[in-house]
Amino acid sequence: MTATEAEAPAPTGRTGGATVEFRGLRRAFGTTVALDGLDLTAHPGELLALLGPSGCGKTTALRVLAGFEQPDAGDVLVDGRDITAVSAHRRGTGMVFQSYSLFPHLTALENTAFGLRMRGTGRAERQRRAAELLDLVGLSHLADRFPHQMSGGQQQRVALARALALRPRVLLLDEPLSALDAKVRLSLREEIRRLQLDLGITTLFVTHDQEEALSMADRVAVLRSGRVEQVAEPGELYARPATAFVAEFVGTMSRVPAERTSSTGTVDVLGMRLPVSGELPAAGELDALVRPEAVALTADPHGPATVVAAAFLGATTRLTVRLPEGTEVKADLPTETAAALPIGSRAALALPERPVLVDHRRVP
Amino acid sequence: MTTAPAAAPLPAGPSPEEAGGSAAAPTPPKGRAVARRRPQAGGGLAVLPLIVFVAVVFGLPAFAIVTGAFKTAPGAPGGVHWTTANLTASVQGAYRTALWGSVKLSALTAALGVVLGLPLAHAVVTSRFRALREAVLAASGVLANFGGVPLAFAFVATLGNSGELTKALDLTQHGWSLYSFTGLTVVYLYFLVPLMVLTITPALEGLRVQWREAAQNSGATTRQYWLHVALPILAPSLLGGFVLLFGSAFAAYATAAAIVGSSVPLITLQIANALSGNVLAGQGNVALALSLDMVVIAGVVMALYIPLQRRSARWLR
Amino acid sequence: MAALNPPMADRTSGRSPSSGPAGPAVRRPGRPGRPRPRLWRGLVGLVAAVYFLGPMAFSVLFTVDVPREGLTASSYRGILDAEGFWPSLRLTLELAAATIAVTLLLLVPALIAVRLSVPRLRALVEVLCSLPLVVPAVALTAGLGSVLQWGPDDFADTPLFQTFNSLQEPGFPVVLLLAYVLMALPLAYRTLDAGLRALDLATLVEAARNCGASWPRTVLQVVLPNLRGALLNTAFLTLALVLGEYTVSSILGYQPFAVWIVSLGGSNAQVSVAVSVLSLVLTWVLLLLLAAAGRGRAHRTPRATSRRAARRPSRTAPGAASGRTPGREDALPGSANSPRTGGTPPLDPDTLPEKP
Repeated sequence: MTATEAEAPAPTGRTGGATVEFRGLRRAFGTTVALDGLDLTAHPGELLALLGPSGCGKTTALRVLAGFEQPDAGDVLVDGRDITAVSAHRRGTGMVFQSYSLFPHLTALENTAFGLRMRGTGRAERQRRAAELLDLVGLSHLADRFPHQMSGGQQQRVALARALALRPRVLLLDEPLSALDAKVRLSLREEIRRLQLDLGITTLFVTHDQEEALSMADRVAVLRSGRVEQVAEPGELYARPATAFVAEFVGTMSRVPAERTSSTGTVDVLGMRLPVSGELPAAGELDALVRPEAVALTADPHGPATVVAAAFLGATTRLTVRLPEGTEVKADLPTETAAALPIGSRAALALPERPVLVDHRRVP
Repeated sequence: MTTAPAAAPLPAGPSPEEAGGSAAAPTPPKGRAVARRRPQAGGGLAVLPLIVFVAVVFGLPAFAIVTGAFKTAPGAPGGVHWTTANLTASVQGAYRTALWGSVKLSALTAALGVVLGLPLAHAVVTSRFRALREAVLAASGVLANFGGVPLAFAFVATLGNSGELTKALDLTQHGWSLYSFTGLTVVYLYFLVPLMVLTITPALEGLRVQWREAAQNSGATTRQYWLHVALPILAPSLLGGFVLLFGSAFAAYATAAAIVGSSVPLITLQIANALSGNVLAGQGNVALALSLDMVVIAGVVMALYIPLQRRSARWLR
Repeated sequence: MAALNPPMADRTSGRSPSSGPAGPAVRRPGRPGRPRPRLWRGLVGLVAAVYFLGPMAFSVLFTVDVPREGLTASSYRGILDAEGFWPSLRLTLELAAATIAVTLLLLVPALIAVRLSVPRLRALVEVLCSLPLVVPAVALTAGLGSVLQWGPDDFADTPLFQTFNSLQEPGFPVVLLLAYVLMALPLAYRTLDAGLRALDLATLVEAARNCGASWPRTVLQVVLPNLRGALLNTAFLTLALVLGEYTVSSILGYQPFAVWIVSLGGSNAQVSVAVSVLSLVLTWVLLLLLAAAGRGRAHRTPRATSRRAARRPSRTAPGAASGRTPGREDALPGSANSPRTGGTPPLDPDTLPEKP
């Protein structure tokens, strides 16, 4: 996670970025509700990630903004102007699709210059501008290649160049990295972020990969069932998730049974009294949600927990322990410490005095 | 790699090689060389019947056409000898007219078939009703291949001299005749348009939504999208479709024979006439020469079609 | 509501400079370009329906609307009594069955072998199966007729003469069977090849072999059932071809169904049209049956997208291969941390020993 960008002041000073507002967007496909009153604002020049599981409406929101879908209700505003009724080819947005969106009969240069050609820009000017854009994405040497002669990563770079050709004030990225190899994905991720910061262009980035969202975005909007669950900077989202859904979707969480206490603002978890962040559910049984790095494990032959699995993550190792009543809890330990806890060994488990999020008990 | 023979359903039944191959495959180190050669042998064995079949059933007639076209008729005075007279005759007089008539009819109907088939295929492909879609495609399969005689009779019953529609609208008064070039065009389209639908549908399905959206996103209108993106991408398929339709119309015989007899000069009708000795005795070798003309034209057509097909396949994967 | 928005005129002037010289934004408010395509589709569909269904409808009318008799089904009753109906139908059906069998027996093993073990023969097989397209049926017939002449002309005194005679046996002319198989090859090849392409045969076979299936079992119980749809399609198209075939049989002087219909046309137009209608209906019924049979099993890959996905699984599955580097970043995602995958390495079918 890169918290640095998030903590930097919002890049409002840059020119070119537009404010994008979704106001009460609704869109249903048959009985499936994709957008259920979506309200969301992207500030000028920021990279706003739309994060959520498939079917949460994030792509639909992007497509409404690009003009490919019409909302059943609600408006889309760019710099305060309602563009809901503007047809797609006049929206002035630049979009990068998931994959295979390059025109197969055109070279990289021709693909990049396509928008300029549609607009009637002269040949020399559009060649110059397209070459410039290809240079920007580091592909000047492939200008004459056809899409089928390029790798997936190269194709997406060309798609990015094409999307930027008309100097859009909003850049739309619809899971542009999800069809790529892990390595390429990482490098392209950084490159997109660098370009976006250089150009100061307001960017909406749709992804289901939370790692991608947290590492690239200024702010992340977590979507669920067509609504925004939480919008926050990555660090905030991780440390203080507003809801159990966000908490579990972003990062790893273990659920541990919790008991109400007589004093407000606390719960008992595994015999420890812990402060609660946020409201307690009004009634019913409770679960406390704990991050693996917040769980302390010590080898203890008489401890209640049994180590059932270990996953090596490099500097840390993630152990899974089973409690007597069957609950499984994950804990991150420095790898050398974890060596003392082989699978099958017993351990004692402690939770730090840190607020936890409390949710209704979920029967596994 | 576990590549072993795949020749189980050979007509001759499983051969000893296959049994050996499947047994040898699992043995790791020593059997490797064997396992690598056996499958090849088995695979080749599976392809062999096809090769032999085509070599005999296609090869012999092809040989007969080529040699026969350059020979005099068996009963000719002076015995059988090599000649180019047949070929010369096949591009002169009535035969020339027939060749030209066939080319004209095929080119016209193929062009019309492309122009009419594309919107129909597009309507079908983009339809929301999948059942309709599948039904139209299945029906196209029948019409494009079944064609022939039943088709001819359906049109005779509809638009022939005593056809229902002809009588109802008194079309003969308006100069309509099914037994003419125009009439044949109308009938040919009945199997060429479905053939076009079948040919172009995969290409239309290969047109990605992203391309349309990317074009729109780059400021292209619907018209510009078709002009600059869709049609260029479809161009190889459309040309390929034209070529295929041309070949199909060019080779068609049953429909024409059942409808017009010989009132419209067509090369296929001429060959059939020459073969059945309706014209003159000893025309058999001219028929072979005419066949050679046809093969050459069809060969050129295929030679044009294959590279177009390749390019289209590469774009529309 | 989008529809309730005021007209766009005022916004147009203030449109962001990003839309550039082409600038002015809105022409039609509401849903851009939605209803028009639908109307267009409807119109195209209507014209096509009239053109393609018209002749069928008029044919039926023609057969039941007999002059001076009014509406009657006598044409259809006449079919059964018509001379030559049964023999020609029997001949055609026998030829169709034989053609389908021979075509499949020739092609299926060859295509499977080409996909699995002898890929270098693939181009050859494709060319072999496309060759018949170059020789139109009439030309093929001319060639065949000429070859059959060799019998009496050149081999009259040899045992081969017998072969030539049996090829032309009127009860079951093998020469027609051979011609039909040849003519069916291009279409059958393409149908089967498309079916195989959607299958990822190599993986399928390796998986079956890995599970201990012998080669014959693999082909019979794994490959062929998965090819069901393509096999049925091939059989059907071949059947349609043989049912309608006229060129070769008429010129060589045999009388299968199509030739019989034409010969009938001269004497009794009504009945011949009635037979045409019936044969078309019969074909449609067969088609429907086959479609139903093909759909009965789970084998369905009708959508273009899913076919593409099947062809290139590694590239199209979104996020399926979201490989992550171990380390700090992996502390975030809840990736692959289920207890089941914890300790044991993933099961890789390739590492399992093959059962004898």
